[in-house]
Amino acid sequence: MEGILLHILGAIATFLLAFVVGMTYGGIRRKVIARVQNRYGPPIYQNFIDAFKLFSKTTAVHHGAMHLLGPAFLIVSAVMALMVVPVLRDNLWFTNLNFHGDLIFLIYIMVFGPLGMALGAGQTGNPNSAIGVTRGLSQMVGFEIPWVMALVAIMIKYNTTSIVDLMKIQTEVGQWLIFQNPFAFIAAILASLGMFRYAPFNIVGAPTELASGPASENGGKFLFTMMSAGSVFAFVKLTLFVDIFLGGASNLIILVIKTFLLYMIPVLYGAVNPRYRTEQAITYFWGWPLLFGFLAIIYSVYF
Amino acid sequence: MDYGIYQDKLTRIVSDIARSHSLWVLAYGTGCGAIEVPATMTSRYDAERLGVRGAATPRQADVLMITGYLTVKTLKRVIRVYEQMQDPKYVIGFGSCAINGGMYWDSYNTIKQLDLYLPVDVYISGCMPRPEAVLEGFAKLQEQIKAGEAIGATKYKENLDYYRGNQKKIIKNWDFPDYNW
Amino acid sequence: METFLGKIKDRISVNFDLEKSSIDIEKKRVDVQIRKEQIPSILRYMKENMSFRHLMHASVVDWLEEGKFEVIFMLWAPKEKIRVFVRTKLDRENPIMENLDMIWPQLNTYEREFKEMYGIEFTGLVAPEEFILEDWDGPPPMRRDFDTEAYAKDVFSERIGREDAQDVRETIAKRSGEVIPDFAKKHSR
Repeated sequence: MEGILLHILGAIATFLLAFVVGMTYGGIRRKVIARVQNRYGPPIYQNFIDAFKLFSKTTAVHHGAMHLLGPAFLIVSAVMALMVVPVLRDNLWFTNLNFHGDLIFLIYIMVFGPLGMALGAGQTGNPNSAIGVTRGLSQMVGFEIPWVMALVAIMIKYNTTSIVDLMKIQTEVGQWLIFQNPFAFIAAILASLGMFRYAPFNIVGAPTELASGPASENGGKFLFTMMSAGSVFAFVKLTLFVDIFLGGASNLIILVIKTFLLYMIPVLYGAVNPRYRTEQAITYFWGWPLLFGFLAIIYSVYF
Repeated sequence: MDYGIYQDKLTRIVSDIARSHSLWVLAYGTGCGAIEVPATMTSRYDAERLGVRGAATPRQADVLMITGYLTVKTLKRVIRVYEQMQDPKYVIGFGSCAINGGMYWDSYNTIKQLDLYLPVDVYISGCMPRPEAVLEGFAKLQEQIKAGEAIGATKYKENLDYYRGNQKKIIKNWDFPDYNW
Repeated sequence: METFLGKIKDRISVNFDLEKSSIDIEKKRVDVQIRKEQIPSILRYMKENMSFRHLMHASVVDWLEEGKFEVIFMLWAPKEKIRVFVRTKLDRENPIMENLDMIWPQLNTYEREFKEMYGIEFTGLVAPEEFILEDWDGPPPMRRDFDTEAYAKDVFSERIGREDAQDVRETIAKRSGEVIPDFAKKHSR
């Protein structure tokens, strides 16, 4: 009984942590991009203000049940993914739901949210949403392949599909996975550029050409939900990277340092890049990231 | 304010502060004033540090910025855009064309008083207003929101007959529903 | 150059009866005026038999005092870099012309504009009713006898405080003692 209670409290704590860290990272991203563009930039808590404002707005839009469910799908999938990823190593509060095979479950659940959002965006009838959905699915075809290849390489090498096992292995060997299989890390980090959907891969929600794409009919509370889902999801992705490749984190400070350094890769790459077209984005992912994915698999099979 | 029924005074104050520091702008740029908006947003004047940021669609926007003159034809679209925006929403009239017709005072298809058709919270004078003036206008709007005086949308709903009457006087072929937000 | 332009003018005048014609050497320009019945044939001739393949612009001038509309087609020969202006005058009371958009498809847009802004009818023009103006029920607004000021006063209400608006040019001239020449004075409607 106490175990269940601890699990529930831990889940809530995990969610709050993911929300706060994700939102703050979003604010830092805006600040960093502003500094790169020689601007002063908004304060790093600006995303919290935006989120609160969006939450306090009234909603008078209704396009049907699927439209209402779209943002819900996003946040549900983000929270489900969060529950699977162990935030800290050997910590009672942040163990959450770990089971053998959660890496495969994650590959599935990370696609589930955008697909639900695509359904919701389809019902709004906005042509921008439809174009955005098409672009998003095409891009997903691009980056999912190197991402899955990187994970498969790791699964083959260590004969496990559990994130906790991977973290244990890294502790036992005393070497992070990024050094044991660097090709897998490179393939995964290049795929993550597409996963974060920052420039130059922000072709889905391109504000200037698509009027923010699938989100174009969503204002107020819908947008708040999507924003929190995005923040939580960013945290999930970063934590997953830290868990798999950087040996996990034993306390929150180390986690924040590691995730922040990882987060700066897509942010800085995006800050200096314009937007790709859809086919450019796909050919990007099917170029070097795919090659590194192959190398990772070959490396883990033969070495 | 209308939503005071649902929220107590404290949350209203907090949300007003949040609203005033997070203004997402939909710049309706048919006139020449549209060229001042990028100058306001980019590195030299950087409106984002005040929380002012461009919004992609009317659904996500808080502020409708009418940059310059409005013809009868564009007024029709602006009304639709305004009514698609979600409460609370504000309107900024930008430049002397929006205030009194400006240099288009004798034009056969340009409206001369924006506030007859939409509830304007802040007017920014000038032809064109420089980015400093635009930022001043945003600061004024923030003050108004904090003081709870930016109630244009509420007024619009209360006096819908007045605004609709004015709009229909100009727009002869009224082919959208009377209530569409 | 002068002989070249003259040759072009001669070649046109052999085939068509020109009402008026002139050449401008500096601007490399040939001006011809012709009756409206001959406009389709001269434009087709210039496009197909001479090298004036490009229609630069088409425009209308309202000669209120003469009671005429002048329609001007500006053609351009890309190789020789010469322009030819083909003018024709229509009766202002009953301005009707033949549709010309089979010669240059872009003339369709110009014709729609002329129809809406000046009320010139084109027989056989296939185009939507409205061009730029929406739900317009007044007279064609670009005609010179259309008083836009009175119309604007009638339809759009003026903000109070704007009635004593002064003419900028005259006010500055009065202040600085400048004498405005006749041609620069504000014309009366």
